[in-house]
Amino acid sequence: MATLDIELPRMALLYGLCLVPWLLLWLIGLRLSKDIGISILRMSIQLALVGIYLKMLFDLNHPWLNGLWILVMLLVADLSILRRAGLKTRYFVLATFVAIATSILFSTAYLVALVIQPTHYYDARYIVPLAGMILGNCLQGNVIALERFYSVLRKNENEYATFLMLGASRWEAVRPYFRDAVKAAINPTIAGMATMGLVSLPGMMTGQILGGSEPWLAVKYQIAIMICIFTSTTLACIINLRLSLNTAFNAFDVLRDEVINKP
Amino acid sequence: MLPIIRFDHVSVIVHEKTILSDISFSLCSGQKAVLCGKSGSGKSSVLKTLLGLHPVTSGTVYFQETPLSPSSVQSIRSHSAYIGQEPMLGAEGVREALLLPFQFKTHRDHRPTEAQLIEVLRRLQLPSDILSRESSRISGGEKQRIALARGLLLGKKLYLLDEVTSALDAQSRQAVFDVFSDPDLTVLSVAHDPEWLERCGIVFELEAGRLAQVRHNGNT
Repeated sequence: MATLDIELPRMALLYGLCLVPWLLLWLIGLRLSKDIGISILRMSIQLALVGIYLKMLFDLNHPWLNGLWILVMLLVADLSILRRAGLKTRYFVLATFVAIATSILFSTAYLVALVIQPTHYYDARYIVPLAGMILGNCLQGNVIALERFYSVLRKNENEYATFLMLGASRWEAVRPYFRDAVKAAINPTIAGMATMGLVSLPGMMTGQILGGSEPWLAVKYQIAIMICIFTSTTLACIINLRLSLNTAFNAFDVLRDEVINKP
Repeated sequence: MLPIIRFDHVSVIVHEKTILSDISFSLCSGQKAVLCGKSGSGKSSVLKTLLGLHPVTSGTVYFQETPLSPSSVQSIRSHSAYIGQEPMLGAEGVREALLLPFQFKTHRDHRPTEAQLIEVLRRLQLPSDILSRESSRISGGEKQRIALARGLLLGKKLYLLDEVTSALDAQSRQAVFDVFSDPDLTVLSVAHDPEWLERCGIVFELEAGRLAQVRHNGNT
């Protein structure tokens, strides 16, 4: 059962749907035409490029090329995490890269090599979308973890100093904020798993069903991806925060001012 | 006698602003000293610099004649108790706050007994039922005395006090004075309170980050 194609004229018809919200927004006095136009244009161009990349990747299906693609995704994710968490790239780029690379490679390899077991472990059809989806979710978690940890630490500077004065090591003194940040980062995933299927049909499952898969197969893949997202987010956040402690403090255990971007 | 604390031409500049400028003084074991001066004159910064919370721009801070460095900062932090104007208890309940430092590796083997807890509270004129109260529901003056009790439980000999008597009533102040009449305890404090100034053997007057005057009171 193949998915029905959307031909070009009908694609144009699809874009026409945007006129409904555009008109409504204009009627209530929100002048967002420029923003909406740019967003729709960007989405279309970016996805078209991804389409070209993926087509090439799938046709060649070469292990090194697939690996390179994952590396590029990791680098882009690394920079995006730090920018969104408000931290200076120079100080955290390595810690974040090590954290997301370790966790993504571990969970994707576990899923593909041990659980799915395709003929070629490097098969682009499996590793590219799976690693991409895990990474996308892991990215959100790391932004929350870093942002939360460093903002809470700054807000509680006096409390942190008190812990140090009471004989805590740097690690002992940051532990309450560390736990808080990890919890904030993984809570959305845990909550997402608990309501999965009740509130909305998960994206990957929807995609597979549209692609012609049996619902049961789609369900199994959805469970697989959720477990991998949960594992890699937890792993990445813990490794990332732990490694960031090495560069974010001065030798006297005081948080360095210059590591955080001023808003 | 060798000084326990010594500042040797110490200057501190934070964000291009001079906080301390060429400060030199020393304090021997058992001495009680107070830093006074207008707000912004750098009194609290002296305490923070000693604890390694402000980086020293020039000069050297000595603790027990060892220069303050990343490897020695743990020593000053573990030998001293810092009590601020609004001390952070760092735990939800008063009992947990008192026992907090004993969770850390350095102090893990010295957990006090219930009797020791009650004895130290009594010395500071605090009722023993305060142990079961929440940290957010006790007054500023009680917080200061809990922080002080924590220092005493840790057996600290050096106390860095930032305006500790300001929030206390007469009776609790007397209790704090009594604790520090112990000749074994060394005190470097920040205060405005004339009664406290009178009880300190050495008065350092700061003016715009400089040490303007040192007075020795006769009674130590």
